[in-house]
Amino acid sequence: MKLNDLGKNVEANVECVLSKAHASQDKLNAVVTFVDCEKQIEEVKKLDQNLPLYGVPVAVKDNISTKGIRTTASSRILDNYVPVFDAHVIAKLKAAGAVVAVKTSMDELGMGGTNLNAYTGKVNNPYDFERISGGSSGGSAALTAAGVVALALGTDTGDSIRKPAAYCGVVGFKPTYGRISRYGVIPYASSLDHVGCFTSCVKDAAVALEVLAGRDDRDMTSSYEPVGHYAEALNSDLKGKRIAVLANVMDSIKDEAILKNFDALCEKLKARGAIVEKVKMNDELLETLLPVYLIIANAEACANHSNLDGVRFGMREEGADLEEIMINSRTKGFSSAVRKRFVLGSWSLFVENQEKLFRKAQKVRRVIVDAYADVLKDYDAVLASAASTTAPKPDESNDEKMSDTYLVAENHMVLGNLSGYPSITVPCGFAEGLPIGVNLTAKAFDEQNLLNIAKAIEEETGLEGKTVEVNA
Amino acid sequence: MNFETIIGIEIHCELKTNTKMFSAGPVRFGAAPNTCTNEIDLGMPGTLPCLNMHAVELAIRACSGAHCTIDPLIKFDRKNYYYSDLPKGFQITQQFHPIGSNGYLTIDTEAGKKKIRINRIHMEEDTAKQFHTANGTMIDFNRAGTPLVEIVSEPDIRSGKEAAAYVEQLRNMLYYLGVSDCKMEEGSMRCDVNISLRPYGYDGYGTKTEIKNLNSLSNVQKAVDEEIQRQSKIYLEGGTVIQETRRFDEASKTTISMRKKEGNVDYKFFPEPNIFPIQLDEAWIKSIQENLNEVPEQRKERYMNQYGLSDYDAVTLTATKELSDFYDEVIKHTNEYKLASNWVTTEMVAYLNKEGISYEENKLQPEHLAAMIDMIIKGEISGKQAKVVFEEMMQGKDPKVVAEAKGMKQMSDPSAILALITAAIEANPQSVTDFKNGKDKAVGFLVGQVMKASKGTANPAMTNKMVQEELKKR
Amino acid sequence: MEKFEKGMLKKLANDVMFDLNDQEISELQEELEIYVRQMDLLNRIDTENVEEMVYPFETPTTFIRDDEHEYALNAADALANAPRVAANHIVVPKVVK
Repeated sequence: MKLNDLGKNVEANVECVLSKAHASQDKLNAVVTFVDCEKQIEEVKKLDQNLPLYGVPVAVKDNISTKGIRTTASSRILDNYVPVFDAHVIAKLKAAGAVVAVKTSMDELGMGGTNLNAYTGKVNNPYDFERISGGSSGGSAALTAAGVVALALGTDTGDSIRKPAAYCGVVGFKPTYGRISRYGVIPYASSLDHVGCFTSCVKDAAVALEVLAGRDDRDMTSSYEPVGHYAEALNSDLKGKRIAVLANVMDSIKDEAILKNFDALCEKLKARGAIVEKVKMNDELLETLLPVYLIIANAEACANHSNLDGVRFGMREEGADLEEIMINSRTKGFSSAVRKRFVLGSWSLFVENQEKLFRKAQKVRRVIVDAYADVLKDYDAVLASAASTTAPKPDESNDEKMSDTYLVAENHMVLGNLSGYPSITVPCGFAEGLPIGVNLTAKAFDEQNLLNIAKAIEEETGLEGKTVEVNA
Repeated sequence: MNFETIIGIEIHCELKTNTKMFSAGPVRFGAAPNTCTNEIDLGMPGTLPCLNMHAVELAIRACSGAHCTIDPLIKFDRKNYYYSDLPKGFQITQQFHPIGSNGYLTIDTEAGKKKIRINRIHMEEDTAKQFHTANGTMIDFNRAGTPLVEIVSEPDIRSGKEAAAYVEQLRNMLYYLGVSDCKMEEGSMRCDVNISLRPYGYDGYGTKTEIKNLNSLSNVQKAVDEEIQRQSKIYLEGGTVIQETRRFDEASKTTISMRKKEGNVDYKFFPEPNIFPIQLDEAWIKSIQENLNEVPEQRKERYMNQYGLSDYDAVTLTATKELSDFYDEVIKHTNEYKLASNWVTTEMVAYLNKEGISYEENKLQPEHLAAMIDMIIKGEISGKQAKVVFEEMMQGKDPKVVAEAKGMKQMSDPSAILALITAAIEANPQSVTDFKNGKDKAVGFLVGQVMKASKGTANPAMTNKMVQEELKKR
Repeated sequence: MEKFEKGMLKKLANDVMFDLNDQEISELQEELEIYVRQMDLLNRIDTENVEEMVYPFETPTTFIRDDEHEYALNAADALANAPRVAANHIVVPKVVK
C-alpha cells in the first residue's frame, strides 16, 4: 500500500488498517499493541487536509515513546510502561496529520537481527510464515510488506531497518545520523542508533523523511542541515551517476540467485547511463565490522539500559533490599540473550579491558569510516546486496560465525551505522518466491542523491508499491 | 612520635541556575516532592541530555576564581553505577576532560599566606534526595540533575584549621562570584575530606580515610582534628589504618565508619555518546571573565587601597557578601568611606541582629544612609540626632524627611549661635572668670547653656569652638 | 586467551545487576569463545596514532540550551509509572541500615 492509496477519511483509514492488522496478527505476530485511535482521530480532524500525512495510520516500532500508549521495546521489563511524553518523531508524525495505529514487535531493546527475541514472540515473514522477518524492526517491516500500513517507523543500529526490509521485500531507509532526532527513542547504542522508515515505494520514503527530519534541540546530536523537499525533487535520471559495487560483499556471497539478480540490476543501471564499477576495500578491515559493532554497541547498550532497574517505572520484582529488587527485576525483565550481551558490553568497559577492547574498537571504527569515506569520495553511492541469502528459517539464522559470508556479506550494512551515512534497502526481485533486496549508501546528508538512485532501481525492478496478501 | 597530616578536599557545589544541568527541569530547593522533574531527570527511556549554558558559565566563573586553566572544548563522560538515587544508572560527568585544571586558592594561616593547589574543577549532575523511614527509603527526584561543580584540591592541606580555612575561602569565592548559594546546611555545598598521616620526612602516603558530607565549617575542622587524633592513636599503638569511608557524628564529635573500600570501584567511565564535544567561543569565555564580580580579597584590597580603610574594617565588611554589597551601594552616594563603614558595620549590623532581620528584609536604603552621613558632615544634624534619624531610616524612611519632621535641623548659622553664646556669657559672668583661672569646665557649662537655649539644635562642634573663642576675647 | 570461569561470569553479571543461571553461563562461555576470536580480528588493524571515534561526526557543536524555559511534569505524571509510591515519593526498601 502506498500513501497515495489512502484517502482523506481518517476514520476509514484507521479502521481499515486496524482490521487488516488484527487479521494478520495470527500469521505475522507483528503487533505488540493495537492503539485506541479515537482521540488522535479527533485531533487529526482539526488539521489541514493538505498535510503530507493527513489521515495516514502509521505502524511504530515499540521502542519509540508514545504518550499514553504502552511502549515496551519488546522487553518484559517495560511490559507495563506507558510514556508520559511523545518522542520527537511522534510529535512530527502527528503534526503532519498521521495517526499512531499500532506499536510493532522488535528484537528486545533492538538487540538482534532476527526478531526471534521479542517478549511477544517471533515475527513471521509475510512471504513465508515459516521464515523470519529479520530484525530488529521486524514488526514494522512485516506490516509494510503485508500491505497493512503504507508507512512504518523503525530504528537501525546495525542494519535493523535495512535487513528486515530486504527479507520482507520493502523499502527500508535510514537517513544520516542526526538527520532525525532520537529524542524519545529507547536506545540500543547511542552512537549508532538511527530512526528511519519502511514504505512500499521510494517516493513514500522521501515524503516520510521530509516530515521526520530536522533539528531538535532536545537531541544535541541532531543536525542543523536544512531539510530538503525530497519527494518533489525526486529524479531518477542516472546519467553520469557513479556507483561503486562493494566487491568484498558480492565476492563472499554464495547464493547464485542473489548474485544473478544483482548482476542483472547492475547491467540495467549501466543501460540508464550510470557508471557502475567494482571497488574493493581491505578484506581484513571489513572482517572487523562485526566485532567493532558488537563491542561498541554492547558497551553503550549496557550503560544505556542501566535505567531499567524497577525503581521508577517498569516491572519491579520485589526483593528484601534495593540490590535484590534490581537484580530480580533485571534478571526476570531481560531475556538471556540481552543479559549475555550486557555482560559482554560491561566486560569491555572495565579499566583493564577498555584499551584493548572498547577503545580499540573505537579506533578501528575510525579506520573503517576513513576507508569508507575514501570510496565514497569518487562515487555517488555504494551498492551491494543487502543480505547474503533470502529470509532464512529460524533455525538457519546464525548469530555467530567466522566465515566471510557471515562477517562481511551479512554484516556490511553496519558501515552505514559506523559512518552515520544515509543508507537504503530497495526490493530487487524474488528468488523462489522470497524477496531479494539491494542496499545503497551515500555521503552524509546526501539523502536526495540516494533516493534518486533508489528511485531508478525501483523503476527498473517494477516493484513500486509491491506488497503481499497474507490472509489469502 | 609526631605525624604529618596530608589532607585533600573534594567539594561538590550546586550551581545557581534556573534549570538542571541536562534538562529544563526547574531547580528549586524545598519544592513539593517530585514536582521539579521531567522525563529526563527521571531517567525515562529514550530521553537525552541537553547541556545548560548558564551552568557552563557558572563553572567558568568558578574556574576563574580558582585560577584554573579552562578547556574551551567541553566533553562529558559516563560514570556507571547502580543506586536508587541515580536515575539513569550512570552519572554524566567530566572524567577525562574537566573544564578547569591546575588552579589554586590562597589561604591565611598562622604562618602566613599558603597556596592550596586545585587539581581540577568539573561539571556533573546531582543525584536524587532520599529520606530513610522505618517503612523504607523515600525518593524525591527534584534534586536529580541539578548542576554541580566538583572541586578537587591537591593534598596540600595539613591541619583541621587549614582545611576549614580552605573551605571557607572557596565558599566565599563561589558565593561572591554568584556560582552557588553555598549553603552547607542545605547541602548546596558538600565537603568530603581525605586524610592520611605519615611520619615527618617520609615521602610516601599513609592509608587514607575519607570523611563524607561535612555540613559546616566548624565540623570540617572538628572532624579533621578528630580523625587525626584517631589515626595517630592507631599508629602509636602499632595498629593499621583501614581505607574506608567515615562520617562525622555531631553528637559524639567523633568520626564513624560507614563502609570499607575494597579496592577501587571500577566505574567503567567512557565518553558520553549523546553529547557532541562543544566548542566554547573564546570571546564568550573572555567576556565572562571580564565581567566577574570581585572575590573577597579584591574587595578588601579596594577598601584598603582606594578608600583608606583599616585592615580590620576591610575584613569586617567582606565577612559576608551581603554586607559588602550594601557598603558598595552606600559609597556610590558618598565619599565618606570611613564613616560609611562605621555606620554599616556597627549601627546597621547591630540593628539587624537585634531585630532578627535578614539582609533581604533590610529596609534601610543605601542612598539614605549616604545622605544622612552627608548631613552629619555638613553639620545639618548632630551625631546624637543621627542616631534617632537612623532608627527611622531602618523603617525605610528618608533622613531628610525625618529630620524635617522632627525639627532637627541643626543650627549651624554662626551668627545665630553667636547670639546665644553672647546671651549665655552675659547671664553667667562667673564663667569668664573661671575660664581665665584655667577652669575648662566653664566651656562645657556654656556649651550646655547654648544647647539648652537652642533646644539641642546648635551644632555642638561649632558651639564648642565658638565658645572658646568668645571666652578668650573677654 | 582469557579464561571465562563460571564464578567470574556470575560476578560480571551481578556487577550489572542481574543473574545468569547455569545454562546461560555455559551458553555464554561458548559464545565468548567465538566473540574473543572475532575480537582478535581487531588486532590485525594498525591503530597507531588513531584517535578513538566516539561519534559518527566530529564537528564540535556550539549549541547549548539557555537557562530560561522550565519544563516539569506534574507529580502525578512523574510517578505514574512508579511501582511503589507513598506521599508523592518513590519508595524502595530502606537503603541504609
